[in-house]
Amino acid sequence: MNTKKEINNIFKIKNLNLFYADNQALIDLEVNIEKNKVTALIGPSGCGKSTFLRCLNRMNDLIEICKIRGTITFEDRNIYRPNYDVIDLRTNVGMVFQKPNPFPMSIYDNVSYGPKCQGIKDKKILDEIVEKALRDAALWDEVKDRLHSSAMMMSGGQQQRVCIARAIAMEPKVILMDEPTSALDPIATQKVENLIENLKKDYTIVIVTHSMQQAARISDNTVFFLLGKIIETGPTNKMFSNPNKQETEDYITGKFG
Amino acid sequence: MRAKKRRKIDKMIQSLIYLISFIGVIIFVSIIGYIVTTGGKLLSFELLTGNYQAKVTDIFVESNGDNYTYPSSENEYYSPRWDIAVKDSINKEGNPIVEISYIGDNSPMKKAKNLNDCLIGDKSFCSEYSSVNIVVGNSIKTVIMDDYNQIAYGKYKAEAMVKVLEKGSTINSMSIQKEGGGIRGSIITTIYLIVLTLILAVPVGVFTALHLKEYSKNKKSTYLIRSMIDLLTGVPSIIYGMIGVVVVIPMLNIIFKTNGSSILAGAFTMAIILLPTIIKNTEEALKVIPQEIRAASLALGASKTQTTFKVVLPSAIPGILTGVLLGIGRIIGESAALVLVMGAAIKDQVSIKEGSTTLAVHIWQAVGGEQPNYELAAAISIVILIVVFILNRIAKIIAKKMNKSWY
Ligand SMILES: Nc1ncnc2c1ncn2[C@@H]1O[C@H](COP(=O)(O)OP(=O)(O)OP(=O)(O)O)[C@@H](O)[C@H]1O
Ligand SMILES: [Mg+2]
Repeated sequence: MNTKKEINNIFKIKNLNLFYADNQALIDLEVNIEKNKVTALIGPSGCGKSTFLRCLNRMNDLIEICKIRGTITFEDRNIYRPNYDVIDLRTNVGMVFQKPNPFPMSIYDNVSYGPKCQGIKDKKILDEIVEKALRDAALWDEVKDRLHSSAMMMSGGQQQRVCIARAIAMEPKVILMDEPTSALDPIATQKVENLIENLKKDYTIVIVTHSMQQAARISDNTVFFLLGKIIETGPTNKMFSNPNKQETEDYITGKFG
Repeated sequence: MRAKKRRKIDKMIQSLIYLISFIGVIIFVSIIGYIVTTGGKLLSFELLTGNYQAKVTDIFVESNGDNYTYPSSENEYYSPRWDIAVKDSINKEGNPIVEISYIGDNSPMKKAKNLNDCLIGDKSFCSEYSSVNIVVGNSIKTVIMDDYNQIAYGKYKAEAMVKVLEKGSTINSMSIQKEGGGIRGSIITTIYLIVLTLILAVPVGVFTALHLKEYSKNKKSTYLIRSMIDLLTGVPSIIYGMIGVVVVIPMLNIIFKTNGSSILAGAFTMAIILLPTIIKNTEEALKVIPQEIRAASLALGASKTQTTFKVVLPSAIPGILTGVLLGIGRIIGESAALVLVMGAAIKDQVSIKEGSTTLAVHIWQAVGGEQPNYELAAAISIVILIVVFILNRIAKIIAKKMNKSWY
């Protein structure tokens, strides 16, 4: 029983402490992320959800004042080990940001960017990758006639799905999403949620959200953060119906946050 | 009551704005008007493509005994014996000349013999002659007929010259001048200087900006470099010209075996002048690029270098172009520093290892002498205006094509 569970955990976080200069943003985190499941990170604003998410693909490296202690293993290898290949990590752990951030290039160039950076030059292979990624992102039919027009000209919802397609094109094992629908209207949100539902089969997804409904609808597991600490973690339906901690219940029912 | 007062003040301020902008428009229109009306007359294909140095050819012609006819117009003087008409005119430097205004197809002048190749220009030392192509627009400086007493100079005016020409059947020696004053050399020099300067300044400027904005982690040193750049932007160009003379020229003398002033020295000096502008503009362009775009690229497993060259730099091109354009404007407009490092001698044969003049320095030459030639200066100004206009269009088109809107 115990060993089976270990195999299924793609990320294992142990004793994680994170500081922005002298400001501690994450305190003694211990949590596992299950493979091929959707994990929702919830909690009030400023509690460290985005910070934690950025630890998983080492995007915190870009923030100079950020200091990290503890271990995070991805497929049982510590990603903060000194000679760990960050580029390799990021090709396996993709990220979708809160604000849609397509490159100022054509849709095609956006989606093929990652593979091209990995050295794929063959036009045929790239064409295939782009088509597959756009199909998986349920965007192919909408954009197949204008692959070479600028991605900046699309609606916010379409841009966000291009960004998801761009991440999928790398065929990562994990996709990290930081409030991917917060900048979108309800219809676009619906589309992105359906998309996440479909991606579940092939990918491990970690998603930050402020919407309890969204967390309840799409996630298998939930991690509840409060003031840099993990208060509670477990299967979503259990946590939403019968939380262990009072704070969790208060947050989920909207008493604070 | 208060609303009324406010409306009144609004109206007053509005009229003031109109008035001031109207004054501005008038100033611009009158400047352009002055340049076009003064220089327009002189502007011609010959001016643009012609040599600056006048070329004099001495010839020797024999009449065939025929008398020709030509319906000469009012200010022309016709010589039936030689079948040419001349008129009084003024050359590009503003000096009076006797200009050939017509030359018949069967004119004996067409068989003129070139004396320039003969020893001391005397036909008695010559057995073979090369031919001379005399065309309308050439001027006649001197005429010596077979009877050596019959001599005419250009300053005698056209009428007197024709009288002398009619007084003999052999022209012993005639000096034909192909007029100079063309600006071809200066146009070519300007183009050379722009291209060379940009080749030197753009890569260095862009890479420095990339270093400052994208790579450098050392806040103190970047602050120092930035303050230095700000300072250098304000330094008058004559100081750079001086640096060009004491540093650049001796250096180039050793490396490229130049001999004193040269276009190359001009390019190095201008590159130093332009660097701060190009660095600043590139940096501004890099600043506008959202951090999220860089993050997106890195999150896709792109390396720092890939991010910089595939996403960041292409997005900054319109901004870089603005810097380049400002730079070109500065190259075209510079004169003081260039006189120091490239000299002020107007050339027809341009070589980058030798000194020469740009259009701006040519203007400086035209109006700086004892007899300022404002027509020529204005004509060159028109050329400069056209060049600047074309460059602006090109830059706008490129910027539009590559424009990346972030909003
Ligand atoms: N780049 C940074 N530099 C310094 N402090 C930061 C930085 N990013 C976040 N912080 C701090 O870390 C803490 C956690 O921030 P974080 O963005 O992770 O919260 P969050 O849970 O994602 O909030 P939200 O729901 O509003 O997005 C906050 O106190 C914030 O001020
Ligand atoms: Mg956040």
